[in-house]
Amino acid sequence: MTAEVFAGLALGLLVVAPPFLPPYFLEILISVMLFGYLGAAWNILGGYAGQFSFGHAAYFGIGAYTSTLLFLRLGVSPWLGMLAGGVLAAAFGLAAGYLSFRYGLRGPYFSLVTLAFAEMLRVIAVNTKAVGSSLGLVIPNREPAPVNFVFAGKLSYYYVILAMAVGAVWITRRVARSKLGYSLLAIRENEDAAEASGVDALGMKLRAMAISSFLTALGGTFYAQYFAYIDPTITFGPSVSIQGLLQAIVGGAGTVLGPVVGAFVLTPMSELSRAALRGRAGVDVMLYGIVLILVISFLPRGIVGSLRRPGKGRGNPPGVPLQ
Amino acid sequence: MRMNLLEVDAVTKRFGGLTAVSRFSLTVDAGDIVGLIGPNGAGKTTVFHLLSGFYAPSEGAIRFKGASVVGAKPHAICRRGLARTFQIVQPFVNLSALENVMVGAFNRTGDVKAARQCALEVLDFVGLGARRDVLARELTLSDRKRLEMARGLATRPELLLLDEVMSGLNPTEIEEIIGLIRRIHAQGVSLLIIEHVMRAIMALSQRIVVLHHGEKIAEGRPADVARDPTVVEAYLGEEA
Repeated sequence: MTAEVFAGLALGLLVVAPPFLPPYFLEILISVMLFGYLGAAWNILGGYAGQFSFGHAAYFGIGAYTSTLLFLRLGVSPWLGMLAGGVLAAAFGLAAGYLSFRYGLRGPYFSLVTLAFAEMLRVIAVNTKAVGSSLGLVIPNREPAPVNFVFAGKLSYYYVILAMAVGAVWITRRVARSKLGYSLLAIRENEDAAEASGVDALGMKLRAMAISSFLTALGGTFYAQYFAYIDPTITFGPSVSIQGLLQAIVGGAGTVLGPVVGAFVLTPMSELSRAALRGRAGVDVMLYGIVLILVISFLPRGIVGSLRRPGKGRGNPPGVPLQ
Repeated sequence: MRMNLLEVDAVTKRFGGLTAVSRFSLTVDAGDIVGLIGPNGAGKTTVFHLLSGFYAPSEGAIRFKGASVVGAKPHAICRRGLARTFQIVQPFVNLSALENVMVGAFNRTGDVKAARQCALEVLDFVGLGARRDVLARELTLSDRKRLEMARGLATRPELLLLDEVMSGLNPTEIEEIIGLIRRIHAQGVSLLIIEHVMRAIMALSQRIVVLHHGEKIAEGRPADVARDPTVVEAYLGEEA
């Protein structure tokens, strides 16, 4: 209950405060929300179902490219394109998931296959003229038009991504408190025992995959509209996949608020150290790496997972899987 | 005539050149407690894997409530009313006892409240009511065995397969588990039990099947099986 009160207060602050923030902090906050959102999307498959995808860039990229191409080529509003991208990503996720799960790929093997699927899409995008090849796609300067997902100031984008992050957390909470959520945790813990207890492991994992990939694609569209530029490396590259899962692991994989909390710790740290250490290229990344090592060593269940008293409520896995 | 709950007809399971189970047949009727015994490596757990859908038989037929379960996935077999425990207990270690059992309860309901209610009843039934919020990783072996049975029971099975639920327990705990198994049976659940604790299996079973090198070498009432020279030689002889 105290956690809910705390989350409510934090949300109130996130709604009220941003108009008074300097632009630089608003930009950081937008990054926090985007990464928190991506972490939450990844968390449903990776944290709850324990299926460590290294390839969520595939869905992010599908979302970014689908809405952008629909807008540039056909003039379809990116709001609709966003949904189309989500559906397409979910379909791709279901196909990739079915192929992986059907043939019993678990643990690191599943991770590698998802990475391969994302890389495959990146290479296709690099080599396809129709989608801009390696130069990517620019969404040209246009008049602000909320109906086309174009806003005058950053503040509007902030409220869009805030709403998306809140939505993702709400969906996670709904999932966690349903048969699906319990089934996913059981699969994460022990797939054979879950099957023996009546859990349709394949069906449940595919459901998690569909939700996770759909949500991730919406994040891709947001990215495209916010930065007005996408290319294959930014959208389909491994760094998007890793960013998403890092927020979740550091914040607490398999917890409702973990990914967002993780984003609040990691993203400002990354941004501020990059700004502070400008001119010393790479030092900020080293610092980031050190903090990651410390978190994983001393808070193996993530920040939210470690706050939880043992024996109370939902457990989350000790340490980072993949051993 | 009583209904054949489970019919196993000449089932063979080969792993490459190794025949783990050979032309094994068995029937379990509604209301039965059947014991499955045999020396280590006799193929008992392989039989459980075959019945619960973790292995597909190389040959032969398995019917549950009259319908073939060959090729069905474990969760589908569980849905039809055949649940099992694992010889090496497989709790969901990072979940509480209650959550573990709720997973089983979802076999019969999609509703969280109903699953929770069912799980609480089953936890009380097996004597784990007071430990419902304890993480499974923190339970004693004896409690984990109860948890394993509770998770199976929560799926509301007609036939429950128990794989060595007494191994590693002390005599007092064994007595308690025997009592629990009798109460499960009294609730109308039929049981097929693998057990090395002879005293327990002899006391519980109405009928005992003896497996040796993957073949059934004897079947009958406990007292008769215990006197059977083949069994004494194959099983009890080896123990001595």
